[in-house]
Amino acid sequence: MDSSSVKQSVMKQVLAEANLANARVLIEKLQENCFEKCVPKPGSSLSSSEQTCMTSCMEKYMAAWNQVNAAYINRIRQEQGNN
Amino acid sequence: MNAAQTGIENLDLEKLNDKDKTELRQFLANEQQRSQIQAQTHNLTQICWKKCVTGNIKGSKLDKGEEGCLANCVDRFLDINFLTMKHLNNMRS
Repeated sequence: MDSSSVKQSVMKQVLAEANLANARVLIEKLQENCFEKCVPKPGSSLSSSEQTCMTSCMEKYMAAWNQVNAAYINRIRQEQGNN
Repeated sequence: MNAAQTGIENLDLEKLNDKDKTELRQFLANEQQRSQIQAQTHNLTQICWKKCVTGNIKGSKLDKGEEGCLANCVDRFLDINFLTMKHLNNMRS
């Protein structure tokens, strides 16, 4: 392998691992927060309304993540402009 | 060829020339920054989710009020962050 393809391989692997790590944390947090919201009093089985709540909540949590990420990056840019 | 299967340990990093080394360093610095921002986003999302999404989950989309609340929540949390730093600095002197 030449220099360029070694570089490409390293980049590709770093990117894949970083994205996987990020997805893992997102899923962990999403589960924690949506479980709290959708299953306030755990019964003997998961009800259909709890299941519906969970699928909506997952999408909603991801939307919230994106919204927060955008607001955070916005603020970082602003602060950098002020310095 | 699948890079994820090859593993960095199997790559011959000695083969990198100076130009590619510099590019790789820059790439890694950017990735590190990206992952720090993502980590802080995870933290902020959890804090602001608890503050802004208070009702029952009715749909999979954020409503307008929640959207605005999340944006404000991030900004105010960071205000507090800066204020804390400033105050700690003042206490020192």
